[in-house]
Amino acid sequence: MGSIFLETVADETRARTGCMEPIIATDNLTKTYRVGKVDVPALRGVDLVVQEGEFLAVVGPSGCGKSTLLHVLGGLTRPSGGRVLVDGNDFMRMNDGERTKFRRHKIGFVFQRYNLLPTLTARHNIAIAQHIQGDGFNPHRFDSVAEMLGIRDKLDRKPYALSGGEQQRVAIARAVICEPKLLLADEPTGNLDTENSQVVLNMLRNLNRDFRQTILMITHNPEAASVGDRIVRMRDGRIVSD
Amino acid sequence: MVNRMIFENVLHRPIRTLVSVLAVAIEVGMVMLVVGMTHGMLHETARRVQGVGADIMVQPPGASLFLGLTQAPMPVQVGERLAQIPHVLAVTPVLLFLNTRGGINLIYGVDMPTFKQVSGGFIFLRGGPFEHPYDMLVDDWYARSNDVKVGETINLLNNNFRVSGLVEHGMGARIFIPLSTAQDLTGARDKASIFYIKCTDPGYIQSVSTSIRGLLPTHQVLAVKEYVSLMTSNDLPALDAFITAMIAVAVGIGFLVIFLSMYTTITERTREIGILKSLGAGKRYIIGVILREAGLLSVIGILAGYGGTWLARKAIVAAFPTLTVELTIHWALLAGLLALGGSLLGAFYPAIRAARLDPVDSLAYE
Repeated sequence: MGSIFLETVADETRARTGCMEPIIATDNLTKTYRVGKVDVPALRGVDLVVQEGEFLAVVGPSGCGKSTLLHVLGGLTRPSGGRVLVDGNDFMRMNDGERTKFRRHKIGFVFQRYNLLPTLTARHNIAIAQHIQGDGFNPHRFDSVAEMLGIRDKLDRKPYALSGGEQQRVAIARAVICEPKLLLADEPTGNLDTENSQVVLNMLRNLNRDFRQTILMITHNPEAASVGDRIVRMRDGRIVSD
Repeated sequence: MVNRMIFENVLHRPIRTLVSVLAVAIEVGMVMLVVGMTHGMLHETARRVQGVGADIMVQPPGASLFLGLTQAPMPVQVGERLAQIPHVLAVTPVLLFLNTRGGINLIYGVDMPTFKQVSGGFIFLRGGPFEHPYDMLVDDWYARSNDVKVGETINLLNNNFRVSGLVEHGMGARIFIPLSTAQDLTGARDKASIFYIKCTDPGYIQSVSTSIRGLLPTHQVLAVKEYVSLMTSNDLPALDAFITAMIAVAVGIGFLVIFLSMYTTITERTREIGILKSLGAGKRYIIGVILREAGLLSVIGILAGYGGTWLARKAIVAAFPTLTVELTIHWALLAGLLALGGSLLGAFYPAIRAARLDPVDSLAYE
């Protein structure tokens, strides 16, 4: 069933964009949270296909299910129904441990609140991702990422000694240091001023353009969304325009 | 990398670190000091009994092995019968009792001439033997810890005694008074708690012991060497239970403090755990981080405990020179292992709880 679905979306993709394989394919994806005794549907049947190398912006009002979609696609939570394939892996059939392993190797996260470990320096915040991945410290990759994101001179500072923009650049460095197949960004400019927002968006844009990094970015901000190749709008747990 | 994160976490929360380290240090110190003082007291008592110089000791049925105390002392006349046994060189009766004024002190009521025959006599550092019924001898440790000088008057059992001499330590007790005075004071006229027997040759200890058992079948007859070997906590069930209870309390304190410390840490660091999970850290990784942090706190606490115990021993011996605190490598290692084990056990549930946290909820934690 999964392979038929994947083949179908792959065919559609080839027809539309050439020869690229989809990195994300969801079919009638649902996610329902249980709050007390009440079921709260967050995703009500999301159909989405994202190609490798695409920069997709997902926009929509608060509570429309954007963050839930990102959490499901990142393997942080299990979908309730439907189908979701990420890089060919069916999350519905994977347990928590398998999704964690997949996330470790294939997915990078950038959060609105940066989510850096407060006790570690920028250098170690980035290096810990390599450590968790288990491939050890790669100094060449580390240097090139730090250079690209312009944080070379900030590496020995702890998060409290960095501005919001600098913290977000460190968070992006941490997200891409292990060369993930998919970068998921949850309101990456939500806590930044206009100038820093532009810097961060440019970096994401450059990552996508120069390294063909697939990015799925959630945002409220139409200006930020316009950086993406494609904009998907969500409302009430569904995609309303693509 | 994990080591650095753990090290930074430990430094980042100094009060929590201090409390945890202190708890483990107290745990280690408590185990080492309780065992050290108990074993020290036992071995020191054994050494002092050995110091009397006798080969065999005879006690009435039911007498305490540890202090030789009894509720039913033996008639002194028994000593005369013991002295008639072949190969017995000398027999001395001793009446033991405790003085609880100004601390607990074991007092020997001794018959000076026969005690000298068995022990070879006291080594006087100052003063001399009893001259009057209410004269007493004290050893140098007692004199130092109580600042007692020859000629001074000391109250024992509501009677004033004059210190007639200061003797070298290691001869059974720290305080000695004439046997007849001891019998009068305790209402045990012509009675003795223990007979110390010296054989003409150590080779006769076995045969003399057998003869005594034939003469006094219900009495406790022990070669002094055997007595010394029995003076371990294993052979004193009540003491062994006391040590075990103290160790359990100490390990319990360490366990609970580390448990609480790590439990509150997990709550405080819920978001950080969510971050690690978002980076792909699995359950084993999270559990490893928590356990290693608890292990580090424990190791620092153990080292602090060793240092603290060494200082405490110095302070105890300075304040109470009559106490012996035996600190051994064996018990230091055991106390360390117990502390480490207790800490890891205490951190285990918080670690499991951290590993089970939902990553989405953790990342949303304020």
